[in-house]
Amino acid sequence: MTVFSYPRVRLLMLSSFVAILLGPRVGYASERAQVGLQCVSYGTGPMLECLIDLKRKDGTPIDQAQITLSALMPSMPMAHTIKPVRVVPTGKPGEYQGSLTLEMLGVWSIDIDIAAPMREKVSRNLMVNECKGDLRCAATLAKPGDKSPDHRPAKGHGGH
Amino acid sequence: MNDAMVQHLIGLSSDMAIMSLLALSAYLLLLVGRVSFGQQAFFGLGAYASGILSAMFHAPLLLALGFGMMFGALCSWLLAMPTMTLSGLHYAVATLAFGEMARIVLSGWQWQVSSPDGPVGPAGIEGFRDIRWLLEHDITPAHFLGLTLAILALVLVVLMRTERTRLGVALRMTGQDDTLAATQGIDVSQVRLFAAAVAGALAALGGGLYAHRTTYIEPALFDPMLGVHAVGYALLGGLGTALGPLVGVMFDLGLLDATHLFSGWRMVVFGGLLALFLRWRPRGLLDEQLVHWLSQTLKWKVRA
Repeated sequence: MTVFSYPRVRLLMLSSFVAILLGPRVGYASERAQVGLQCVSYGTGPMLECLIDLKRKDGTPIDQAQITLSALMPSMPMAHTIKPVRVVPTGKPGEYQGSLTLEMLGVWSIDIDIAAPMREKVSRNLMVNECKGDLRCAATLAKPGDKSPDHRPAKGHGGH
Repeated sequence: MNDAMVQHLIGLSSDMAIMSLLALSAYLLLLVGRVSFGQQAFFGLGAYASGILSAMFHAPLLLALGFGMMFGALCSWLLAMPTMTLSGLHYAVATLAFGEMARIVLSGWQWQVSSPDGPVGPAGIEGFRDIRWLLEHDITPAHFLGLTLAILALVLVVLMRTERTRLGVALRMTGQDDTLAATQGIDVSQVRLFAAAVAGALAALGGGLYAHRTTYIEPALFDPMLGVHAVGYALLGGLGTALGPLVGVMFDLGLLDATHLFSGWRMVVFGGLLALFLRWRPRGLLDEQLVHWLSQTLKWKVRA
């Protein structure tokens, strides 16, 4: 006899399943945030330092937002998980800053998860290149088909 | 524990539960003696199918997941039909080829509808963004984890109960020796077709959950390495019980990856361990013998 043979256990499992499915319903969120992202990579790891620009549709900056920044490798979803970080305001209206320590070079999907004042989730695929010495290199938007690291340090800003 | 760490643990647990569904789909095929390196295709097809239904047609999540499952089961059944007569190695290569074919088709497929926030739908190699059902219905990551765990528990209960039935015995007999199974009156082809369809549905269910969790999918996500890992988790965890693939997932994603125990050497450790297991314990950690011994010991202790 297994634990699932007991009718009460079955009933409990079934009712929790139904409760979870029918539980939280608040309706459609009306507002979406406009999210800008600029990242630079440096050092070994490599480190990725990102600036997030958060605005409403009308261009008003969004302050006091709760934003978590995380990264994963699209070539291996659900692995190479990087510990997410809570970004902090830079002082400029609607601007936040956060740093991630990546495991390797290549294409990384950077996830920006906004918990407040509205729920929003945005992903950007960035190409993180090797950056020699003390240089800081812009992590550019990855082009479709990008896979292996490009050893040329990128110039200018990217990732918007 | 800070908030970011809690979010990380919730995300990691959700990923492990989703990956377990994919590993269970590989496990089901291994049970009937089939090695599939193409389960990532059904994961991807399920992700796209359920994403289309919820993001483009505003269907409820459960309906979208159900549609994804049906679509995954149908595609897997259609693939299993012509590959039924192939031997082990040829079947594995055929599934790998199908996986790549599906990924290439998704890379070229564009179908978008307009929405107030711009076009939404599959955009070829650019992927499929704005699968926002969870955000629009204010489902928190913790609620989503609860839903995913409940689905996984339900799947496990069904699989573990099925293993005690005549169908479960037929599945194992087909995998151990299909000629012997046929002489015992088992329709080996039907058993394998059934296993392939259910495996496709499970992988697609995992894909549907993944698409809604991340809100964004692209063909590059459904790389052959994903399918190889699914087989690896099932082989490492063991084929003696449906809990085996979960052990494999927990070992790799939960221990090696999340703790960064071996840092950049994770894949070497995982691959090396898998090679050792294939040599010394070919049916995994929780193989039939160990599961039998554990269940006997447990029964003896309960009686005592």
